Amino acid sequence: MILGSYMGRRVLRLEDAKLLTGRALFVDDVELPGMLHVAFLRSDDAHGLLRSIDATAARERPGVHAVYTAADLGDYWQPGPLLVPPPPVPGLIFNAATQVPLVRDRIRHCGEPLAMVVAESRYIAEDALEDIVVDVEPLPAVADLEAALLPDAPLVHEQFGTNLAAQVHQCKGDYASARTAAALLVARRFLYDRGASAAIENRGVVASWDARAGELTVWDTTQAPIPIRNGLASMLGLGESQVRVIAPFIGGGFGPKIMMFYPEEVLLPWAAMRLGRALKWIEDRRENFYATTQERGQIHDAELAVSRDGRILGVRDSFLHDTGAYDPYGLTVPINSQCTLLGPYVVPHYDSEFKAVFTNRPIVTPVRGAGRQHGVFVMERLLDLAARELGIDRVEIRRRNYIQPDAFPYDHEILFQDFRPLVYDSGNYPAALEKAALMIGYEDFVREEQPRLRREGRHVGIGVVSYIEGTGIGPYEGARVTVEPSGMVRVATGVGTQGQGHFTTFAQLVAEQLGVEVTSVQVTTGDTRDFSWGTGTFASRGAVVAGSACHAAALKVRAKVLALAAPLLGVPEGALELGNGRVSVRGFPERSLGLGELARKANPLRGAVTPGTEPGLEATAYFGPDRGNAASGVHAMRVEVDPDTAEVKITRYVVVHDCGTVINPMVVEAQVQGGVAHGIGNAFYERLVFDDNGQLMNASFMDYLLPTALDVPTVELAHIETPSPLNPLGAKGVGEAGAIPTGAAFAQAVEDALSGTGVEITEIPLSPSRLYELIARARGGAG
Amino acid sequence: MKPPLFEYHRPGTLNDALALLGAHPGAKPLAGGQSLIPAMNFRLAAPDALIDLNALPELSGIEETTDGGLRIGAMTRHSAVELSAAVARRAPLLAEAMPFIAHRQIRNRGTIGGSLAHADPAAELPAVMVALEARLTLASIRGGRVIPAAEFFTGLFATALAEGELITAIEIPPPPPRTGTAFLELARRHGDYALVGVTVTVRLDHARVADSRIVLFSVGEGPVRATHAERTLAGTAGDEAALRAAADAVQGDVDPSSDIHASSAYRRQLASVLTRRALTTAMARAADSAR
Amino acid sequence: MIVEGNHFFPGPREVVWALLLDPAVLAKTMPGTASIARVGDDRYEGTMAMGIGPITAAMFDVVITMTDRAEPEHYTMQIEGRGKFGFTRGKAAVTLASEGAGTSMHYQADLVVGGKIAAVGQRLLDSVSKLMLRQGLDAMTRELEHRLAGGAA
Repeated sequence: MILGSYMGRRVLRLEDAKLLTGRALFVDDVELPGMLHVAFLRSDDAHGLLRSIDATAARERPGVHAVYTAADLGDYWQPGPLLVPPPPVPGLIFNAATQVPLVRDRIRHCGEPLAMVVAESRYIAEDALEDIVVDVEPLPAVADLEAALLPDAPLVHEQFGTNLAAQVHQCKGDYASARTAAALLVARRFLYDRGASAAIENRGVVASWDARAGELTVWDTTQAPIPIRNGLASMLGLGESQVRVIAPFIGGGFGPKIMMFYPEEVLLPWAAMRLGRALKWIEDRRENFYATTQERGQIHDAELAVSRDGRILGVRDSFLHDTGAYDPYGLTVPINSQCTLLGPYVVPHYDSEFKAVFTNRPIVTPVRGAGRQHGVFVMERLLDLAARELGIDRVEIRRRNYIQPDAFPYDHEILFQDFRPLVYDSGNYPAALEKAALMIGYEDFVREEQPRLRREGRHVGIGVVSYIEGTGIGPYEGARVTVEPSGMVRVATGVGTQGQGHFTTFAQLVAEQLGVEVTSVQVTTGDTRDFSWGTGTFASRGAVVAGSACHAAALKVRAKVLALAAPLLGVPEGALELGNGRVSVRGFPERSLGLGELARKANPLRGAVTPGTEPGLEATAYFGPDRGNAASGVHAMRVEVDPDTAEVKITRYVVVHDCGTVINPMVVEAQVQGGVAHGIGNAFYERLVFDDNGQLMNASFMDYLLPTALDVPTVELAHIETPSPLNPLGAKGVGEAGAIPTGAAFAQAVEDALSGTGVEITEIPLSPSRLYELIARARGGAG
Repeated sequence: MKPPLFEYHRPGTLNDALALLGAHPGAKPLAGGQSLIPAMNFRLAAPDALIDLNALPELSGIEETTDGGLRIGAMTRHSAVELSAAVARRAPLLAEAMPFIAHRQIRNRGTIGGSLAHADPAAELPAVMVALEARLTLASIRGGRVIPAAEFFTGLFATALAEGELITAIEIPPPPPRTGTAFLELARRHGDYALVGVTVTVRLDHARVADSRIVLFSVGEGPVRATHAERTLAGTAGDEAALRAAADAVQGDVDPSSDIHASSAYRRQLASVLTRRALTTAMARAADSAR
Repeated sequence: MIVEGNHFFPGPREVVWALLLDPAVLAKTMPGTASIARVGDDRYEGTMAMGIGPITAAMFDVVITMTDRAEPEHYTMQIEGRGKFGFTRGKAAVTLASEGAGTSMHYQADLVVGGKIAAVGQRLLDSVSKLMLRQGLDAMTRELEHRLAGGAA
């Protein structure tokens, strides 16, 4: 591990004192004079024609200030922008359909907003929702992915004449030849479903228009404050500098908060300007299940062509992806599935095609893992099934197929979500596998422990799976570092923070270069007034891209410090060193200047400066990587299954993770632990249950089950570090890693625990009830 | 999720509370509020008025009665019952069930009377009270009465409570000699609604089962007496084969629904598995107590 | 949601048929019905109050359209109900067969349930619908017995 004064150190988080004592500002803490409250009337129907909407009674209710429907928005009503165009894959089909601020004619998913009520309080606003009379002509809902593509299926978007949102075919080599040469073909249908991100804080927007100053201020739980600022300015006819978007402390993002131009985000500022009052909308949990994006399922028909000794000759995969009622976020999720399936393996021939399908369900956009889970599940299950049929050990078959440590950069030849070819930068997959197998005690378990416990009637199993996570993609981020006369160092960057620890890790990076105490570095994120260039926090890129920008800006400031101090201290720059907040002559610590003092000197009030100098000790830098890098890891878990009740207990969980250079090991551990919790939820607890009519049947935490601390074991974590050559830090992302292979590991482990019963697991999520059904079916009885 | 308007009253005496309930047909009593308030926040419950019972100390308390049983005030918090040494001594089945009721925070506010009046089919306490042959004291402005638990639960969320009537106390008789009890529940996560639950009391006569009460919950509209299972068990030695037969006989007593968490087939499986496990434990405890 | 089952009425088929299609009888026997009127040859409209346990009864607007009528043997109906808690929509088929002095009824309904009650009340939907159906059929049986005993409509 690379260790500096702060690099690689377990620095306690600088933001925690504020968070733990309730002094952090979240959007719902914002209170403004005369602020009014907003509630939305949302559709009960998943698909229908909005025949009429009558808000007369609602407008007459005391305490109601305004009720808006689509007709009231006039020219402001328009579908949102296409946020992510599809990558330039040859032959690609893409039908773009984006969300609308309020339904005008046609309802396309449950929870779509029909009207906005502004009132004295949220209580009165909700009372007024019940006054609004809506006439809906229900239409048959598009629910089943395969049925949706049949010629007579009802259409979500009539203008396309089809429910096909996209069709993408990527291939390398020639799978047909691999198929012919194979000693074994393993073909299965796999079902993989995800769920809501279920961040502890729901979404919220506060908008305030100062007509005298001509300034709009918006507090928003967004992961992308700068793009929101730019978009709102454009939509509202304002200059970008007239709009300030603040993403304050945010209770978890996990992806859905990078979806942009949600109806509420575009309507509250507009209404605030019209009414001349500050407005607040805070999403409640039930709304969150419909109104905030989520990830859902894919159906994969996949085939693995493999040699007698278990080497992958090729993979063919054809899958359907549920994109929901609109596709504003393009194809990020299914492209990730398509690319991540290849994993850490040599796959000479690959033929992958997917069809994204419109359905009458809420919009699908990335949720922690962003489609990688689906690809990993398919590949890992195919390998497990091949291993069983060929009589090869599960760990061994992976070992035989890994890309070797000396094969980097490794080009997989297809296009990734950043529109660049999928090229892995660095990694050491065999080392991670060995370490994980050792930590979980794989050899002893398979040889001795498992057979012994089975003789006692206990069903224990182990799962070991491997994955790649593409992280740290562009386009870019920026940072500005400023040494203040007080000696405090301020860092501003455009990304937002939703709990990742940026206030600490970015401070560590800057403190490392400037030789100051990490506690004297204050980081601001997510305020467009402080930094206004950037794209946001997503795809595990904060540390890599924004961190590299902080690092680069700190280096520039360091150079300024040396250039300024050298003549003042009468020595060449090479004789100087930085430490303890001072710049001093090496070997003569009494000949030094404090950085704050130097900053003051660099900003004279009078006199002349050397032409070409810049005032102060401040620098801005940007970083945009050539392409994303490849973090990787191995997860191993032990489970015990109760064959009578089909309950599953996870008894141990091991993660060996490679995120390149580690800035703060504590933050990495926490990200992995949290990711694993998310992954366990995905594997065994969480599932958005929609019926055939697009109705969500579990829109509350009574019925949408999140794992608790009792259900998630403490992760035993080890690091492998293969630095990335793609950024100066050598870092790779880690935010999503814990969540990605858990479903695959769970399936392997549970199947292993039930080996001999004939149960084969080709779907996630599972539940005791579903597992009981699979066991009963395998036994030949009625389920 | 904000509730609609309601009137709020906080009476200082039981008579005032009963008078208010009598005068407001659309009013609901507020005990712990752990089921009522979320329903109001969802706007599924919309009572015209809430009659807050939390300022009536005479409705709380756990008393050891002279006959060896217990008298528990209806407003006694779950957590007080959970931590009570008297309950552990005189009604171990109740003590065993308490930690399964939701979560600690909810048990700090929720009350035993509130839970029984709510009569959720997945609730633990109705089944426990039927198994223990408890008696409920009810009161209204028309007077008071006592009703056995087995007659109190009349259907899905339905009880024998008449308009304006409150539970004021629950009496639990002393445990008969040579009795063993057991409580088992299976839920997806700690604190969740039970997928299936079983409460069991077994009384021995020498080495044979004299009688038993097997009451399941979350398998129908309310607490379900598994009479087929009880009849199968009666008179046997309570050995493994007898317990297995009784557990199988439970299938004739339950008709569980399917929902998104569990199919009816899975619930049936759990009903038999949990009954067998609970009977095994109860038999062992009965044998211990007979020594 | 599929609701299916059988019920035995202790009376002749023609009488049962008439009761099942009589709006005044439906108003009396369907749980929570506040009003129901025949507004066309094959169309009934009404309001019902639906609630159970902690859930305060809320009004639902109900429209029932008869299709496929084959007196006194068989009918199907389209049911639509909408209210604050959500909506239900679907088709139900009813078949009546003479069985001795009585009538055996087979019913089968396939209903969509949507809105708030479907989103947060899944746990109860199955039990509540079974309960309401049982209450309605029991009330209908009592009404039949009352009529046969010479009671007034």
